[in-house]
Amino acid sequence: MEDIYGGKRDVMTAVMNRIIRYIEANGKRHEQETGNKLYEHLSCRIKSEESMREKLARKGLEVTAENALHAVHDAIGVRVVCLFIDDVYETVRLLKDMSGCTVVQEKDYIRDAKPNGYRSYHMILETLENGEKYSAEIQLRTIAMDTWAALEHELKYKKSLENTELIVQELRRCANELAACDVSMQTIRRIIKEA
Amino acid sequence: MKILLAEDENDLREVITDYLEYQGHTVTAVPNGKEALDRAGSDAFDAMVMDVMMPVMDGITAMRRIRESGNTLPAIFLTAKGEVSDRIEGLDAGADDYLTKPFALEELHARLRALERRRRDYRVRTMTLGNLELNTETGELKAHNTISLSQKEVRMLSCLLAHTDRAMKAEELIREVWPGEDAGEGSVRIYISFLQDKLMSIHADVEIREDEDHSFRLQEVPNV
Repeated sequence: MEDIYGGKRDVMTAVMNRIIRYIEANGKRHEQETGNKLYEHLSCRIKSEESMREKLARKGLEVTAENALHAVHDAIGVRVVCLFIDDVYETVRLLKDMSGCTVVQEKDYIRDAKPNGYRSYHMILETLENGEKYSAEIQLRTIAMDTWAALEHELKYKKSLENTELIVQELRRCANELAACDVSMQTIRRIIKEA
Repeated sequence: MKILLAEDENDLREVITDYLEYQGHTVTAVPNGKEALDRAGSDAFDAMVMDVMMPVMDGITAMRRIRESGNTLPAIFLTAKGEVSDRIEGLDAGADDYLTKPFALEELHARLRALERRRRDYRVRTMTLGNLELNTETGELKAHNTISLSQKEVRMLSCLLAHTDRAMKAEELIREVWPGEDAGEGSVRIYISFLQDKLMSIHADVEIREDEDHSFRLQEVPNV
């Protein structure tokens, strides 16, 4: 079976590393300037052969390298997990300033949470590498949002679960309580800073 | 109504039970405070009528323990004495009302009805302003998004929601949020900050404004 990315993996890895290096460099500078970590951790991946094929098929797209690279935008994925909501927005601001990259899409699910309670900031960056266009999806969130998303992911792939409706409802309540904590901690942080 | 009655005098217990059952209520009658405490913990009632002087455990102790368990059931206690201190102790232990023996059964019934009415009125669950909805029971605050509020935040916001026609002074909010506690204007300001950030995070078209005289009001912001 032919590689779903048509032999472009090395270039994709180079694009991914460029984004990571940019975030790391800015994180270091932010820490030197403020004494606070910009983010708690950073992770990245190239979407697996299997899930990319599954995604294209699910979207009714032909399973080709062209579609894997251009019709969907998350072949390259980067996740930034921050301590506080403000740090998420600061990282978003920095990514918008990254030279050679254009933000082509932004979704602020922190301000507009998904109905199930999902909160994160999503952006799609576009960049040229070896004269070809590549896009990467960046997900930014707080640790609380990350924990929630991990649990929701487990729920999504669990087929045999009783009382699903109740669990979903309780999970949504957790999302609201975690959001409340994130916002309260932001408020406390501001009060401390201003004191 | 499902009523829990604690009275050690057999005759009186029977008379009250018969009368209230005749009026269409269900009565669980027990002879002392200890049994009342047990039943209040194991069954759900709509109201409680409790004698003060009882063997095994007196009514005031039972009332206090029932309240300590988190039970907010409307309660009337019966006292044979006309002692003011007795009535104060009973009310402070958590009773909502009292009757001095001898009393008219019709009056007991009327007071039970009044308590039930009041409890119903207090059970306002949702308060709204603009696109903002506060569920005072679950603490869920909803506008464009939803977020949870702490108990103190719920109390402060529902107080502001109940008085949107005027500004609330810090002392008024303190009385509402920290009843009987030693809280200052600084505490009010911290909780106002919590609420302001939460209102913003859910895109409420409502905001808390501080007036020049350090009073606070909740008002709609047209087309943010």
